[in-house]
Amino acid sequence: MKDAKKPLKEKGKGSNKQSFGSYMKNNWQLYVMILPAVIYFLIFNYLPMYGIQIAFKDYKAVLGINGSPWVGFKHFTTFFNAYYFVRLLANTLILNVENLIFSFPIPIIMAIMLNQIRNDKLKRGIQTTIYVPYFISTVVLAGMLYIFLSPTSGIFNTVRGWMGLKAVDYMSSASAFRPIYIISSIWQGAGYSTILFIAALAGVDQSLYEAAEIDGASIWQKIRYIDFPSLLPTIMMVLVLDCGKLLGSNTEKALVMQTAGNIPTSDIIGVYVYNVGLGSGQFSYTAAIGLFINIINFILIITVNKISRKTTEVGLF
Amino acid sequence: MAKTATAPALATGKRKLSRSNQIFRIVNTIFWVIIMFAILYPLYLVVIASISDPDAIIRGEVVWHPVDISMRGYEAVFKYRELIRSYGNSLIYTFSSVALSIMVTLLGAYVLSRPKFKGKAIFNMFFVFTMFFGGGLIPTFLTMRDLGLYNSPLVIILMGSVSVWNLMVARTFIQTSIPHELYEASMIDGATHFDYFGRVVLPLSKTIIAVLAVYYGVAKWNDYFTGLVYLRDRDLFPLQTVLREILATLQVDKSGDYMMTMADDMSSMSEAIKVAQVAKYCIIVVATGPVVVLYAFMQKYFEKGVMIGSLKG
Repeated sequence: MKDAKKPLKEKGKGSNKQSFGSYMKNNWQLYVMILPAVIYFLIFNYLPMYGIQIAFKDYKAVLGINGSPWVGFKHFTTFFNAYYFVRLLANTLILNVENLIFSFPIPIIMAIMLNQIRNDKLKRGIQTTIYVPYFISTVVLAGMLYIFLSPTSGIFNTVRGWMGLKAVDYMSSASAFRPIYIISSIWQGAGYSTILFIAALAGVDQSLYEAAEIDGASIWQKIRYIDFPSLLPTIMMVLVLDCGKLLGSNTEKALVMQTAGNIPTSDIIGVYVYNVGLGSGQFSYTAAIGLFINIINFILIITVNKISRKTTEVGLF
Repeated sequence: MAKTATAPALATGKRKLSRSNQIFRIVNTIFWVIIMFAILYPLYLVVIASISDPDAIIRGEVVWHPVDISMRGYEAVFKYRELIRSYGNSLIYTFSSVALSIMVTLLGAYVLSRPKFKGKAIFNMFFVFTMFFGGGLIPTFLTMRDLGLYNSPLVIILMGSVSVWNLMVARTFIQTSIPHELYEASMIDGATHFDYFGRVVLPLSKTIIAVLAVYYGVAKWNDYFTGLVYLRDRDLFPLQTVLREILATLQVDKSGDYMMTMADDMSSMSEAIKVAQVAKYCIIVVATGPVVVLYAFMQKYFEKGVMIGSLKG
């Protein structure tokens, strides 16, 4: 991502050498080739940004995006004063923070432990296996949760039965929603997240380990003094990225996990926007909520990126 | 770092050291046995339950191995028209979308990888900005509706067909894997960008094409949300959108259409409910199988994608 600065320099160099006319004569094809990608982002990303204006209007289908009357910050005020405002915000934030705290260390530990396996075939086999859950879709993952946690035939309650415990309907329980969400996220994503850390460990200078061995360092000491410091830049980078997503939408998964029973905790902002916006057709109101979250997220990412740039010299842009 | 490691290490005897390493090996083994079990058991359970007798599952007997092997679940699944149709839809959506994605992404990536491309900074900004800010669900929905894309199969194929991340991965690949000398030589020979892209870049891009196919393909196959938001006609639904109604629900008898199909063949409603329960396991196997098989073949490309991506950020 550093190269955002490079082209500026090269551009200066290039324009001295040849005139714009002859540059275009040789290179017009480049602009044709990049056109499809540009058109894609114009239609699917920038045009919807133009549509954000409905957050400040009372959208009516007959009048369209442009024709609907302006109402200023009405929808924002309504949202901030709504009784569920704090609950939605808290649900979103708590779910994401808890998820980050519990999910974050696991791939790092897995990468370090994997790095200590000396049998290459075994190592490959493990690596292949831990990525598999990443390929399972959100719907199927949720489906597995519904099946396994079913109070009548699910494996969890079968095991509870062995221990003489009563069956619990986990998917209808508000207090179980976050743990289920987080544990299943770890199951699905931890293996995939190890890839970066494994790559970082593979890049460690092998002579460091040899030197440590000659000095009589134990495996624990090698992990503590070689592996961990080598991973630190990657850890920081991933942490920055994750912090930028703290209010981000995990709408799709929460939406398929939502049941009548767990609404008190599963109602996060993205799910609310979907249900009320598309379900009840309150377009302007939910567009305002979406914009509010988008802006906060944007500020969050910029800030976290700046902090990271200053402290670790790792940044996105 | 090595220095700090030596001080305590020198003090300990060799025997103590090898003991500490032995403990580590044991801990590591236990660690991986637990992780492997946690990852594989749920998948294994789905497979054995899918070929077990419905009654055995309800009695909670299917835990370690299939009980009273029966294919009734699979028979029911293959009779379920809506599922078969959506499966076909998903195949069409995925293949056409992936082909388009790869083409657009590679073309764009090639341009961004040219060192003397004027306006690179602006184009980069144009793309990267969309990673951090967007219209949001509702404005996007209304815009698509205004464009006449609502309830059109096109929206499923097009939406998400170019990802900035993949664009950057492909750009890095072209920059680092295709020798710049080839480019200079071709340009001296009077080749145009079209020539060079078609004759040199494409044939040398097999790896990145495979990487892109895996990432775009899995994302498209696994997406239920676009279908849920943008399609009204059930005939157009992709697989995952249909699965959501069958799998992501608490009660079996709430799945509507699905139960009707099941009940058609069964002697009684309670029979149908039982079979419908096993059929869920079968559906998971049928829906996820192709992706896992694809992964098995494309495994090295999958990892490579993340590695190339991490080179630049």
